[in-house]
Amino acid sequence: MGSKRVDVAVIGGGVHGCSTAYHLAQKGLKTVLIERDYISSGGSGRSAAGIRYQFGTEVNILLAQYNMKCIKTLQQDLNYKADIEYDPAGYLWIAYSESQLEQLKKNVALQNQLGTYGSTILNVKQIQEVAPWLNTQGMLGASFNPEDGHVNPHTLCFAYADAAKALGVEIQKQTTVTGIIMKNGKAAGVHTDKGDWEADAVVCCAGAWSVDIGREIGLDIPVIPERHQILITEAVERMKHPMTLCLDDGSYWKQCPNGTFMLGVGREEVKDTSYYASWDYLDAAAKRIVPKMPVLAGIRVVRQWTGPYQNTPDLQAIVGPTPVEGFYIDCGWSGHGLQFGPSVGRIMAEFVNGEKPFIDVSMFRYSRFEEGDLFFEPACI
Amino acid sequence: MKLIENHPILDFHHEDKKKITFSFDGRKMEGFAGEPIAAALHANGVRTYRITPEMKRPRGFFCAIGKCSSCFMTVNGVPNVRTCVTPLEEGMRVETQTGKGVVAAEG
Repeated sequence: MGSKRVDVAVIGGGVHGCSTAYHLAQKGLKTVLIERDYISSGGSGRSAAGIRYQFGTEVNILLAQYNMKCIKTLQQDLNYKADIEYDPAGYLWIAYSESQLEQLKKNVALQNQLGTYGSTILNVKQIQEVAPWLNTQGMLGASFNPEDGHVNPHTLCFAYADAAKALGVEIQKQTTVTGIIMKNGKAAGVHTDKGDWEADAVVCCAGAWSVDIGREIGLDIPVIPERHQILITEAVERMKHPMTLCLDDGSYWKQCPNGTFMLGVGREEVKDTSYYASWDYLDAAAKRIVPKMPVLAGIRVVRQWTGPYQNTPDLQAIVGPTPVEGFYIDCGWSGHGLQFGPSVGRIMAEFVNGEKPFIDVSMFRYSRFEEGDLFFEPACI
Repeated sequence: MKLIENHPILDFHHEDKKKITFSFDGRKMEGFAGEPIAAALHANGVRTYRITPEMKRPRGFFCAIGKCSSCFMTVNGVPNVRTCVTPLEEGMRVETQTGKGVVAAEG
């Protein structure tokens, strides 16, 4: 135990922490990344592993364009050996009411206006063409982009972590942040159960657990953790089926590159970071999804797990500096954060290095909550 | 033919020894209602139940108690059915499974 000195301490070994550490190291900043468990063990590795163009607010759409551009060559760019598994099976957002369809049309119009390629509105016949296995009963239309898809959340994190390490980042796994070092009212490092790290800046990428870290230094981060559960089936041969998200009940499912189906359903859940999975969720997900895609009925579920969403009042992230000087946060992604690792990791490094972010993320500022300047993201479940 | 009456792990329900017909890869076969599908196939001389996804190797009976995945076949359009513990029914469509199994349009 002793005190070590770095330029920046990053908290959290999910995709945002790993990408931030990588981008900081690229700028020549000496960086340590502290992860309580293992890389990708929290929200990143437990996510539904999606990456998409289709969002409904300008900042997310612009960031998504960058994420999608990055992901296509990321494995080569980071010189990573394992497959990141970007799999463009498409994303199909399904409307069951006129108001839902109107919202999807608005989302697609905004995406097109901002230069996103490939997003369209489909009628029911066109839905059947891109997803022939669906029971389209009750569906009014959908939005679709064929390049949206899947990414392996683990190798995505490992790729950034390894690339960061190659640039000299110290990665401290199995290490818990126990507090923030404060000097003259500024964040000046982290206390951990394995020693202190003094730093000029601290970047908190701790997902739903950011709330606990913020509380240590008097920040009341408006993030509500929420348990989300997810199921995966045994593998079958690949079928023509995009990621399907139903706006009537928040159910979603997709086939992963290895042939397994990943399934989830929206419902009231406990507001904590527990990893406990429940039987009734399995029951609810099966009963809601099988009628929408009857061929799934014979496919066995083999695993179920949980991960915490980190919901903000407008379901938008909190990105940038905070009232505590030297303490930056990147959290509150409300269930769609994994895919923003490429863009927002770069932006966090730009913030810390005193640069102007390459995409304006001022909408994500911490102070918007007390200013009452919320902006709701419509494209999330 | 001698049928298993008591099995240390599985329950067999073919007390009435009722003969029924089913199909294997389109061929008509006979078996006893309620016996495991795999047992009926074995009695008909079928030894290969599936071809593995990666190495393309034949697989047949192995554990025979529903644990090992060796006897996965496509039954009535549903892939990955454990034929060693799934009871045979009249008219069943049993198919050799190649790879991970193809989900059929009609069950």
